[in-house]
Amino acid sequence: MELFDNLLMGLSTALQLNNLIFCLIGVVIGTAIGVLPGIGPIPTVALLLPFTFGLSPASAMIMLAGIFYGAQYGGSTTAILVNVPGETSSVVTCIDGHEMAKQGRAGTALAIAAIASFFAGTMATIVIAVLSVPLSVLALKFTAVEYFSLLVLGLIAAVVLAHGSVAKSLAMVLLGLLLGLVGIDVSSGVARMTFGIAALSDGLDFVPIAMGLFGLGEIIANLERPAERRVVSQSIRSLIPSWTDLRAAFPAVVRGTALGSVLGVLPGGGAALPPFSSYALEKKLARDPSRFGKGAIEGVAGPEAANNAGAQTSFIPLLTLGIPANALMALMIGALMMQGIQPGPQIMTEQPKLVWGVIASMWVGNLMLLVINLPLIGLWVSMLKIPYRLLFPAIVLFCCIGTYGIANSLFNVWLMMGCALIGYFFIKIGVEPAPLLLGLVLGPQLEENFRRAMLIADGDFTVFLSRPISAVILAVVAALLLAMLSPAILRTRKEALAE
Amino acid sequence: MTRSRIDLQDLLFGLFLVAVATGTLVATRNLTVGHAADMGPGYMPRVVALALMAFGVFFTGRGLWRAGRGIAPVQLRPLLAILASVGVFALTAERLGLAIASVAAVMLASVATREGRLVETVAFAVVLSGAAVLLFVKLLGLPIPIWPR
Repeated sequence: MELFDNLLMGLSTALQLNNLIFCLIGVVIGTAIGVLPGIGPIPTVALLLPFTFGLSPASAMIMLAGIFYGAQYGGSTTAILVNVPGETSSVVTCIDGHEMAKQGRAGTALAIAAIASFFAGTMATIVIAVLSVPLSVLALKFTAVEYFSLLVLGLIAAVVLAHGSVAKSLAMVLLGLLLGLVGIDVSSGVARMTFGIAALSDGLDFVPIAMGLFGLGEIIANLERPAERRVVSQSIRSLIPSWTDLRAAFPAVVRGTALGSVLGVLPGGGAALPPFSSYALEKKLARDPSRFGKGAIEGVAGPEAANNAGAQTSFIPLLTLGIPANALMALMIGALMMQGIQPGPQIMTEQPKLVWGVIASMWVGNLMLLVINLPLIGLWVSMLKIPYRLLFPAIVLFCCIGTYGIANSLFNVWLMMGCALIGYFFIKIGVEPAPLLLGLVLGPQLEENFRRAMLIADGDFTVFLSRPISAVILAVVAALLLAMLSPAILRTRKEALAE
Repeated sequence: MTRSRIDLQDLLFGLFLVAVATGTLVATRNLTVGHAADMGPGYMPRVVALALMAFGVFFTGRGLWRAGRGIAPVQLRPLLAILASVGVFALTAERLGLAIASVAAVMLASVATREGRLVETVAFAVVLSGAAVLLFVKLLGLPIPIWPR
């Protein structure tokens, strides 16, 4: 069984002592930022990127991945206890989770959330392992032509399936592509758009851009809202759910896991879509839908399972094809490139230890998270008592130091400052910044593959349509874009995302 | 959110895109463009800038044409405080060292909210600065001076 060989190889990487430690660090940091509202995984991963230089690629990826799925666990704690989503992915958990807490069943809700997450994480790990092999076999047939089409598909699909206006998101992707072009042109050695600034000749670092747009811009916007009083509603009594609770929750967990696994693979599916869809599904299937919103356990179990499964399967396009499904995966690609690993379809065959190590570490990490989150819940609850007025200056400082650390350059700190202003502007005018990051990270690859494809085809644009794999991929792109124009789908999309 | 006769959000985004596209076209006017089979360095920037220009014109037009949401008023205090905090860090980090730059950055950032109390802020800034020095310089080996040179 090739699958078992691969998983065993992955486990042997993941279970090395230093990788275990980095996995633990990752999931602990992830839980912490998940619990704290106002800090997301994107600025955190960006902040820690500079310090993964010295690590082996596998350790770095294991830690950064741990932050991402760890944040999904932590986010539900805040949602249940305080009725404030720690992460966007746990918005739905607020509805019934907090209602359960008000009824004195906070412990049960927390336990069900953690168990659902663990189950989903385990199943998603298996899904990743099973799907990765056939996808990577397909990927080996790819040339520059197919890869260019695939990059286009990744970008377009991420835009169409994520929330926000499609046209605006497309414009943001282009903006990101443009920023990715800054620097010395690889094939001609000519400086482009560097405005005579030496620091720009190597191109723009995406870390200061990510931190400015997502971290600082968000902080400024948060500070404009009136301060909310966060009160932890009550003490947690019993953490062990009753047999009836488990039986009620289990089918929802299974459905949530399946739904989340599928939606997570889709570009743009990432964090927000799976829990919302799962909640809608549970409500539709329930015999008595009126219980939802009043502390229905399925309303916690389903979405929690879905968001963890989705978070993990969103690694599939990254690990097999080198295509990021969302902005966070784009940062992961950046992390790989900083390690000198070219992400792309060949990554599975060239770096099997890395890929399978990361996959296996997810299961290990989920096991750690179960322990970190249930017995140690009191610790995280006390973290919630840190007021935002102390939290945000600390984030600003760490962003400054982290940005400086990426290349020991003050230019990056100034760049981050500019991006903070632009990020704030984007929030004000209601534009999602995530597509920009995707464009920025994929831009150089897109240009390189486009140029190579054009060299192969001698400037003939029809090459993208005359090669079968590429033609199919572009047909999917066209179908996606056409579907967006159809009013019926537009309406359902709006409803699905608004719910 | 207030309603307004024009869609200010669209309009501003459109104008922003037009400005960026124009800037790009000006900045890359001297680069050789080449053609598809043999692209010069100016090929991609021009293609992307023209596409951005199209989007910019579209959003500007739509913003003027249809009614939409206005924009919540900008509050200068948090905006300026956070930007100033980053700016001060950039100005002082290499000259005065991480310890002083951190204290300055944290104190300035704290101005962003009215909730802060002076004593608490100062104490917190000093503690954070110490933690930052320990974590980033001592533990992670970031090459940055701790004290003024």
